Amino acid sequence: MLGQLFAKECKQTAKSLIYWLIVLILIFGFTTQLGNNMEIAKEPKPGRASYGYQASHDPEIIMSHTLGKLTEEYFRGNYTTYPIGFYKNVTLDKEDDHRIGEILKEAAGITGKEEAGRVMEDWYTAQTELKEAESGGTEAEDMGPNDVNAGDMMYREPLKIEPAAGLTYERFAELMDEADKILGGGSEYGKDDREMNAEVPKTYEDAKKEYNTLIEKDGLTGGYARLFCDYMGIFLGILPVFLAVTRGMRDRRAVMQELIYTRRCPSLTVVASRYLAMIVMLVLPVLALSVFPLAKCMNYARTAGITVDMLAFVKYTFGWLMPMIMIAAALGMFLTELTDTAAAVLVQGAWWFVAIFGGVQTLRGGMYGWNLVPRHNTEFNWQGYHDGFAQLALNRTLYAAAALLLTLLTAYIYSQKRKGRLQIRGKILANRKSKS
Amino acid sequence: MSTTIEIRNLNQYYGRKQALRDINLTIETGMFGLLGRNGAGKTTLMKVIATLLPRSEGEVSVCGRSTLRPQEVRKIVGYLPQDFSMYPNMTVYEAMDYLGVLSGLSRAKRRQRIPRLLQRVNLQDDKRKKVKALSGGMKRRLGIAQAILHNPKVLIVDEPTAGLDPEERVRFRNLLCEIAEERIVILSTHIVGDIEATCEDIAVLDEGSVIYQGTVTDLIAMTEGKVYTAEISKRELEALKKDYIVTSMLTLGNNVMARFLAEERPFASAKLCEAGVEDAYMYLMHAERGELGC
Ligand SMILES: Nc1ncnc2c1ncn2[C@@H]1O[C@H](COP(=O)(O)OP(=O)(O)O)[C@@H](O)[C@H]1O
Ligand SMILES: [Mg+2]
Repeated sequence: MLGQLFAKECKQTAKSLIYWLIVLILIFGFTTQLGNNMEIAKEPKPGRASYGYQASHDPEIIMSHTLGKLTEEYFRGNYTTYPIGFYKNVTLDKEDDHRIGEILKEAAGITGKEEAGRVMEDWYTAQTELKEAESGGTEAEDMGPNDVNAGDMMYREPLKIEPAAGLTYERFAELMDEADKILGGGSEYGKDDREMNAEVPKTYEDAKKEYNTLIEKDGLTGGYARLFCDYMGIFLGILPVFLAVTRGMRDRRAVMQELIYTRRCPSLTVVASRYLAMIVMLVLPVLALSVFPLAKCMNYARTAGITVDMLAFVKYTFGWLMPMIMIAAALGMFLTELTDTAAAVLVQGAWWFVAIFGGVQTLRGGMYGWNLVPRHNTEFNWQGYHDGFAQLALNRTLYAAAALLLTLLTAYIYSQKRKGRLQIRGKILANRKSKS
Repeated sequence: MSTTIEIRNLNQYYGRKQALRDINLTIETGMFGLLGRNGAGKTTLMKVIATLLPRSEGEVSVCGRSTLRPQEVRKIVGYLPQDFSMYPNMTVYEAMDYLGVLSGLSRAKRRQRIPRLLQRVNLQDDKRKKVKALSGGMKRRLGIAQAILHNPKVLIVDEPTAGLDPEERVRFRNLLCEIAEERIVILSTHIVGDIEATCEDIAVLDEGSVIYQGTVTDLIAMTEGKVYTAEISKRELEALKKDYIVTSMLTLGNNVMARFLAEERPFASAKLCEAGVEDAYMYLMHAERGELGC
């Protein structure tokens, strides 16, 4: 009975509008976040001008880099922020813009847009000269994806602005916190971000080590599978709940509940077949999408002559993403069966929001905690993954187990409802009727 | 093995409201009619038998299986609710197939039974139609087909004739009579004509109590000698209505031919006539409430 019901549920899902909307969002999410800009890391060669950058902890460097960014954004009049992990373009009203100008003046001694423009101009000229001096020397393809502005190879050096004389690091931090607040958070100037601004060049050894780890420990695909999970997880932390809620409401909307309730099929079979169908139908498009980065990896591996882990995307999809699909779908099913409303969308939505917001601080990976949507927004940092693996495994197991428990509870509620008990909605309606 | 439905001392409550009062009924193979006005408790009683409501007090057993073990009862009961539909985007055949799986029928069984049943309810040419494209009558027939899909010993149909046109109604009754040859069919209705045409045994429910149980013939016999007709003027009709229960009337020019209930001949021009189910039902309802004129 379970197998045949499962097949029928899958077919029903494949014919539902909401399912295809979810698939469309997944495709959209994949192409915008990952599909177009995923470049495979190339092996660094010695003797290059740059191997990309890594964060410095030197206050002087942090200050000059951060003020450089502030000068540039202030001059352009628009700011890039990631308030909950998503890209946002911020423009300020007159008053706020004026206050940023004051901050810049106090921190860097730059007065007004005009002076900021002049500083920008000087820097731009210097860059062009640098580039001409180098021309013929370094070819574009020698630039790795770690290089600053890899897509925009005009600039060899980021804009750096020396802090005003006598500015302490404490006062600098206060001013930047204020700027971040004006910009609504998630800007380059908040504490965590500004400490990442101070990028210093990696040495050839640093870059080589990072690359070797990716190839040797991760078989290349491992790193990209994590990156894939990082992006897809953002969507899969919320979308399954919509499928679960619409499925849960469909019987009532079709006035079909009693026809199903009075049949012999055990409640657990009914609920399990629906649940399994949801999971399978959601995992399928994810696996299908993972073929694209896998193909890219294989393509690169062939030219670079390395062997890759062919199953990495499958393993990561099941280990990392499936528990997320399971819990979101199970919570959706449970709350819909319990309340006969779409309340699950609100609950899961709130949880997802908190997860994404909280995850912004852990984008580099390794700090998975109990986050519903663990982050690891880089193909590198295998070490972080390795160190955080035990926690990640616990995290994923917890959610998968909770999902199974919720499914069992849903089956229990279903069995009670078909006997005429636990009719929360029925009670509400009856009260309304008896009053009118 | 028992082939009857036994209901003993059944009381049913919705919160504090009592919907059924001390019901005792034995229902045997064949058509069983459940008659009563709206709100009498027919649907409630049927839902208890179909295990859709937990019985509050008393005992209900269906062919020897207690409704305390719903999974056993569900195997042998087919139910057609008063209001129902199916997934609108499924075809007639798909909907039947889906419900067939839920009834535990194998693929082979479903392939064999579904076309036969669709034929029986005269939907064989509509099996590829979407459920949302069916008319009210077609939907009812599909409802019957799904309810007997697993060949249940008991078929429960709640007000199936409501909303059907007269021709459909007659055909529907005949279909139910055929089905009742092999099993118990419980039919509820608030339309007396349905019962008259199809049922031998009936129970009349009023405000949650059974006020009559027996055959239709006996019900009519109770009213024998108490039904009169008289041709009277319209003014006299008002007076008559105050004292007697008028079960029907027919306007004849300035006069009215009234049919009414009386314990004995009320005036000379009144003519005694043969009682019908309608008269008997009206008699019963008013006798129960102590409103009968004398
Ligand atoms: N879910 C419910 N909650 C509270 N009262 C109900 C509910 N369903 C029915 N009732 C009440 O129980 C009585 C019997 O209803 P019902 O069995 O539907 O009657 P019938 O089917 O004969 O029209 C009515 O007074 C009705 O208002
Ligand atoms: Mg009813």
